[in-house]
Amino acid sequence: MLLRILANALQVLVVLLLSPLVAGVLDRLKEIIQSKRGPSVLQPYRDLWKLFHKDEVLSDRSSWLFRATPYVVFVTPIFVTLLIPVLTNYPLFLAFMADMVGVGFVLALGGFFATLGAVDTGNPYGPMGASRTRMVAFLAEPVFVIVFFTVSFVAGSTIPYIVQAHWALSAAIFLSPTHVLLMAAFFLLILAEGGRIPVDSPTGHVELAMIDESKSLEYSGTGAALMKWGGYMKLLVLMCVFLNVLVTPWGLASGQTLSAVALAIPFVALKVLILILALVVVESSLAKLRLFRISEFLGAAFVTCVAAMITQLFKV
Amino acid sequence: MTLLLIPGLPLLAALLSGAAMLRPKRPRARASERVLAGMTIVSSVLVLLLASKMAWRVAAGATFTALSGWVSVDALGALIILLIALVGTTSAIYSWGYMARSYTEPGRLRLYYANYNLFIFSMLAIPMVNEPTLVWIFVELTTVSSALLVSFENTEAALEAAWKYVALSLMGAGIALLGFLLLFSTLQAAGGESYTWQGLQHVAARMPPALLTTSFVLILVGLGTKVGFVPLHTWLPDAHSQAPSPVCALLSGIETTSVLYVILRLLPIVDSASTPGMRRWVIGFGLLSAGTAAFLLLQVRDYKRLFAFSTVEHMGIILVAAGLAGEAAHFAAVYQILAHTVTKSFCFFAAGAALLTVKTRDISSVRGLIGASPIAAIALLLGALAIAGAPPLPLFMSEFAILRAGLASGRYLTVALLALFIVIAFFGILLHVNRMVFGSPKPGNHEPATQPATAPAAIMPLPHTCIAVLIAGGALMIALGLVLPSPLRELLRLAAAGLRR
Amino acid sequence: MSATTVTSTLASLNSLVGGLFLLTAFAMVATRQTRGCLQLFIAQSLLLAASAFLLGAEYHTPHLYGVGIVDLISKPILVPWILNRTLTREVYAKREIDQVLNIPTSLLIALAFAVFAYFLTRPLLDAVAPQFRGANVPIGFAALLLGAYTLAVRREAVPMLLGILAMENGAFFVGILLARDLPFIIELAVASDGLIMVFVVGILVRKIQHRLGSTRIGELATLREGSASPPSPLPHDGSIAPERQNPKAV
Repeated sequence: MLLRILANALQVLVVLLLSPLVAGVLDRLKEIIQSKRGPSVLQPYRDLWKLFHKDEVLSDRSSWLFRATPYVVFVTPIFVTLLIPVLTNYPLFLAFMADMVGVGFVLALGGFFATLGAVDTGNPYGPMGASRTRMVAFLAEPVFVIVFFTVSFVAGSTIPYIVQAHWALSAAIFLSPTHVLLMAAFFLLILAEGGRIPVDSPTGHVELAMIDESKSLEYSGTGAALMKWGGYMKLLVLMCVFLNVLVTPWGLASGQTLSAVALAIPFVALKVLILILALVVVESSLAKLRLFRISEFLGAAFVTCVAAMITQLFKV
Repeated sequence: MTLLLIPGLPLLAALLSGAAMLRPKRPRARASERVLAGMTIVSSVLVLLLASKMAWRVAAGATFTALSGWVSVDALGALIILLIALVGTTSAIYSWGYMARSYTEPGRLRLYYANYNLFIFSMLAIPMVNEPTLVWIFVELTTVSSALLVSFENTEAALEAAWKYVALSLMGAGIALLGFLLLFSTLQAAGGESYTWQGLQHVAARMPPALLTTSFVLILVGLGTKVGFVPLHTWLPDAHSQAPSPVCALLSGIETTSVLYVILRLLPIVDSASTPGMRRWVIGFGLLSAGTAAFLLLQVRDYKRLFAFSTVEHMGIILVAAGLAGEAAHFAAVYQILAHTVTKSFCFFAAGAALLTVKTRDISSVRGLIGASPIAAIALLLGALAIAGAPPLPLFMSEFAILRAGLASGRYLTVALLALFIVIAFFGILLHVNRMVFGSPKPGNHEPATQPATAPAAIMPLPHTCIAVLIAGGALMIALGLVLPSPLRELLRLAAAGLRR
Repeated sequence: MSATTVTSTLASLNSLVGGLFLLTAFAMVATRQTRGCLQLFIAQSLLLAASAFLLGAEYHTPHLYGVGIVDLISKPILVPWILNRTLTREVYAKREIDQVLNIPTSLLIALAFAVFAYFLTRPLLDAVAPQFRGANVPIGFAALLLGAYTLAVRREAVPMLLGILAMENGAFFVGILLARDLPFIIELAVASDGLIMVFVVGILVRKIQHRLGSTRIGELATLREGSASPPSPLPHDGSIAPERQNPKAV
């Protein structure tokens, strides 16, 4: 029991503490690929540190929503961490509280508050970014739903721990068209939900072209730090869902000792690094899509996962 | 040996013409074009002689085989070969005068003759080759080799027509390829050994119905695109009207039929297997084509398109006849193939003559052709009467035979619809052609430039070869309507037997 | 490793190839650039070859290896080479391909085609070994239909040609499983026929490009049913009309 609590705490700590590093590595690698030196991989930590030590400025037009939002955005990924396999391939004791749909809901709650918070200020860019995020989210929603349908159809469950165990049953299942297409669809979803190129440019500085970033423009000090940190964690959580639930449970701890769980950290880090490399390649070789082309991008994701579904449906 | 010479000669001619194209443009390009034209005529006449001799012997009951069974000819094949050789010859002779008159830029005709001979070669190979996948290859080769013939005029319209032709035909070919591959697995599932038409028929009764039906439908749709069945006919009126007239005669007269031949080959196989209702689908497909084309005929404004739509109609009629059961219907179907080829090629020769005279394809701007060029006018009228099915010309005979066979087998609705479509097409064709030939020029009809037919000074006499082909073709057509010689009748009878088990 | 493990591994790898094959077929419908279309076609051909090798290993039919090698030589290498020889580089200029329907709609239709392909092939699968049922036959059918669909909606010459070739890929994807005993010589003939086709279509496209100044087939619309035929087919009085020069072409 104690061990499980500790393992759970360790999962949360890993997500909490390593997520800025993931963002840092991602940025650094991208700069290197583009023949630049780039900031240190620790830059996100420094940013957070700096922001936490600054005063917060609040618009007198804003309501409690605006103040509450950073905390919700920060907390939701931590909740999700309790539900998904980050380090262990056996369920920890909160694992059966919610399934993958629940994970989606909790993450959506953070997005919902971020949107409300953005609309709450007088800044014209906030509502614009909010409406764009909603557009992306509306388009991504059916893809999520179909992914969950397909997963539950294949694995007979949507509990992440059961799903991840299913893929590793045999090579035939792991390599089946359904699984391949599902992975492709979810990868596209990560790009969209995580606000990466080609859907959104996370490093863009032009307010008019922003989607995700513009929602947190009005935040300063602690609020901004929490929003940022929440964003980093959300990306890492999505990556973990992708890597550990949809792709493989390989590298996760199966032993019930603390050392086994701790030993899983480098393996998971390695997997994340590989995914980061893939992201970097995608981001460096593609350009950001025009806003109205995003529907095509997510349409492609939708078609891919429906194709995954039908390959499973018609399996003889 | 004869068997291999028949496609061999056009292939040789194609290679020689191709070799001529490799040389850079020389001052004597025009002379070399004449040489190529002459060579094409000689080779096609030789092929015609060989094909007639072979058909004669096939009619007497012989079959030809070569290359250890990869190539073989039975009655149906011999008939198609004979028709290809016939149109190939008349068209080659017609080209001598027509092409030289129409395209004066030196050196261009080398491309024409290279493609022409390759086209004839690939068509001749279709009824000879015995292995279905190879047949598919040659069907695709006909598309590829005729593409540049269709675009020969190099106008925007001709290029568009060629593109549509190539794109749709190759799309159909892709579908048909899958059909042929599935057909092979059908054969294996039935325990068959050799993938040939005979081998297929041999084990047809044991074939799994689902697989056979799928492959037949794929082939019917795929090759049907190239035959021009509705709704995949959209390219046909364009390609068959934009190409130079001798090429139109080949495309419309014989290319469609030689592809249809492949579909006809499959009918007895589908029949033998336990796939009921397949014939009904075939008849329905045919009726759809005949009906749609008959109505589309009424609204054309280009007289070459008129004849092109009539090809769609006739292909539909042939398919209906082949789909009907019974010896009489199949005989009529084969007879219709013969009659259509002879008639349609004549129609396009006549249309070419009219085009040389009036230099426009627009029906409404051609009036009183009889005054401008009596030969072209009479030929056009005769062609229109013949293709519409006026007695006693051959198409009347064959269409009448089809209707009678349909009545005899109790398919009243089919016969009624078919008769209706034939009558509509009859009026549609004659309405247009009658106005072109006898209509008086409207006063103030656009500007004078659109009525070159009334300005005798602008008219050059038709090339002699064109006139010769028109006279010979017309005579052949009338003769075939009056009497069907007994060897030919025997060949048709044997070929018709190939349409059923 | 026992024989059954080998078999199941081969079959799973083949399923993987099938999934990717379907993905490339969809991507060809979705992509907007000519160059991307070509790259996807090459990827698809590589997958076809991979499947041929896997099936060859499974059924111990050496000539499937031959099919794979022929495919590897002809499609990823010779087809782009021929296209480069016959067409100018301008064809690949980064512009978005015209098409009749927009891409999301196209994708949904493509999806419907894929479902249709699965329905269509359901009755055919009795002839197929169980471990290969999911992959080659329905996915090849789907790729064929999607290729035909690309051909129908695209208005740009080279992607249309690639649609035709993709159809051929789809047909072969089914063929290497169902008709794997087809004599090798025929497969070779089909492949060379495909190359001739690419060559001739390339020439045709070049002529269109020369004449029109672009390869947008959509701009060719002189032949419409019911519209008057072009007023005078000029070349019949002897000369070829001076070709419209393309200002962009160098």
